[in-house]
Amino acid sequence: MEGSTLVLLVFVAMPLKHLAGWPAVVTVLGPVHGLAFLFYVLTAIETVVAGGWTRGEIARLALTAFIPFGGIANLPFLLRKDAVRSRTVVDRA
Amino acid sequence: MPSVREQSSTVPESASLYLLLKALHVAAAITFVGGVLAAAMLLGAIRGLDVSSRDGRRVVQRLHRWQRSVTTPAMLVVWGLGMILAIEGGWFAYPWLQLKLVLVVLLSALHGVQSGMLRRSASGAVLRSGGTSGFVPLTIGLVAGIAILVIALHGKQS
Repeated sequence: MEGSTLVLLVFVAMPLKHLAGWPAVVTVLGPVHGLAFLFYVLTAIETVVAGGWTRGEIARLALTAFIPFGGIANLPFLLRKDAVRSRTVVDRA
Repeated sequence: MPSVREQSSTVPESASLYLLLKALHVAAAITFVGGVLAAAMLLGAIRGLDVSSRDGRRVVQRLHRWQRSVTTPAMLVVWGLGMILAIEGGWFAYPWLQLKLVLVVLLSALHGVQSGMLRRSASGAVLRSGGTSGFVPLTIGLVAGIAILVIALHGKQS
């Protein structure tokens, strides 16, 4: 979500503002992206505190939040992690 | 002197909308803080206890679900409406709001930490962290700080 709102902000809202003279989209999307970033950080804190992450994985989660499109690049890693977690839950059950 | 009805009809619509958003912001904040306090109290209460029984886990899971379905959405509403109000009022330049933002970020981070601990506890882990006993005073302190900034300092400037 954080990555996709950044994509919309950079590739849609900014051109509309500077090329078409429509600043309103930036005014709306800017705070939306900010909210998405906050939600990402909150979810990352919750996930790390819940346990099961190595220091390297935690650092990866933290750093990619500040790199443009880092969240999107992280997606395969997060999906693999979730698949392992789901298998663990099923095995326990 | 104009009657109350005449007075309210002269209030600009934009001012009424601003006040409505402010009211919703406060309502969402109360809901959010209520959830943070509830989690703080429960985590303090179960520290060191084995809640792996079916009933114990059920209590923790119910609060964890409340956090996800009520407290976190309320927090996002607080943030969203807060941003709109700050932009409309031009408050971002004022030190009281900048300091308030720091306190709100800390409160939101505390919510994240508590949610993670609840998730861990809901899966059967025993919480051994000694820090949970400080969650309630920390929450109250942060909320008191926010209230002082908004009412005493913001009120002085408006």
